[in-house]
Amino acid sequence: MTRQRPVTVPILAPGTRYRWDKVREQHQLVFPEGMIVLDEPGKAIVQLCDGRTTDEVVATLKQTYPGSEPTDDVYEFLQQLVGRGLIREGALGD
Amino acid sequence: MTDQPLPRPLALLAEVTYRCPLQCPYCSNPLELAKYRDELDTETWARVFRQAAELGVVQLHLSGGEPLVRRDILELVREASEAGLYTNMSTGATVVDETRIEQLRAAGLDHFQVSLLDTLPESNDRLAGAPSFEKKEAAVLAAKRLGFPVTLNVVLHRQNLDRIADVIALAQQWRVDRLELAHTQYTGWAFRNRAALMPTRAQLAAAHREVERVRAEGTRGVDILHVLPDYYFEDFPKACLQGWGMVSLSVAPDGYVLPCQTAREIPGLEFPNVRDHTLQEIWEQAPVFRRFRGTDWLPEPCQSCERRDIDFGGCRCQAFLMTGDASATDPVCSRSPQHHLVEVALQEANQTPPPLQYRVMSVTR
Repeated sequence: MTRQRPVTVPILAPGTRYRWDKVREQHQLVFPEGMIVLDEPGKAIVQLCDGRTTDEVVATLKQTYPGSEPTDDVYEFLQQLVGRGLIREGALGD
Repeated sequence: MTDQPLPRPLALLAEVTYRCPLQCPYCSNPLELAKYRDELDTETWARVFRQAAELGVVQLHLSGGEPLVRRDILELVREASEAGLYTNMSTGATVVDETRIEQLRAAGLDHFQVSLLDTLPESNDRLAGAPSFEKKEAAVLAAKRLGFPVTLNVVLHRQNLDRIADVIALAQQWRVDRLELAHTQYTGWAFRNRAALMPTRAQLAAAHREVERVRAEGTRGVDILHVLPDYYFEDFPKACLQGWGMVSLSVAPDGYVLPCQTAREIPGLEFPNVRDHTLQEIWEQAPVFRRFRGTDWLPEPCQSCERRDIDFGGCRCQAFLMTGDASATDPVCSRSPQHHLVEVALQEANQTPPPLQYRVMSVTR
């Protein structure tokens, strides 16, 4: 099944930021009044949400993990975070 | 209780001062404010923030009183941020201008939460006991201009609940990111003013419908968090604090460490101080943190209740204020033998409200 690309340019919503919790040894996405724990692939995606397009995020992950097919996973992950208001569309004029 | 390892706290509420230019009649600060004037200095707070981070705290809430009256507030934010904490500030936003907001951002503040008492300026100012509406509006708009994530927090009660649609519209107009609609929790000054603040059932039903209508139509970019009043809506009490001494802790302006910011209302509890112990020692060993931690201490009907591990018997402060016994089942629970006390409180809503008693620094009788 091929998913819809949820955003063209995924950026973190204001006040949302990645954090390494050295006490719990966890990747976290922290936001006002809350926090979610990220797994390694989630952390890799979040750290690429720096102004590049979703397509570029997918391409970078393919390069980093040769042989992987991350497209659907990236779309699904971004869709979830868009639904929670943690990722927004960063493309101008969109 | 099974022998599970003690969880590490996720949140620290740092009430850096009880001083405040506002006099909100539902303030959660203690009634006898004048007793607690000995505030921790900058270096001690910085040590507390570092210890909190080492203990596992993720979210820091800088609160008060009004945190912005501290002359060292920028330094406190910087210390918190450098300790690796996600730093929130809860403020009345009446003693701040755009320059100061920019400095707070540069110091590492992550999130700005502003209280609003009502959408009508004259009603806001009357409830706050001071002219403040225009200052709050200016601060919110400035914070948004600077790209801050802003939460608007409106405490709801009998005297503003009918304007809930206006509250939502104003939050949208000001383009805040989140709107917290929080019904009054009847502890602290709010308990003293309960008869003046308790809404009627009809008011609540109408407000609830209004929020649902907006949600169905789309909230136009504002995330709405609606905290329902437990006196009316719930058959069971809220899982207060998600369990006593399980997820969060508070440090009062004078350095005393409390499982909950209003726990000072419960007589007979002895609180440890950050001047004498580390936060870790306090979290793990202080008797006051162990007093209501877990479920071993629970009375009946909680002990044999299937919801025992869901709500932990409810709120300790509420249980004390209503029954005189902090280890009683929260009377909000429909299974509490003292549930009739809630019915008595709800009758207050149908009577003429008494005058509000404003939060003041001097001890009043």
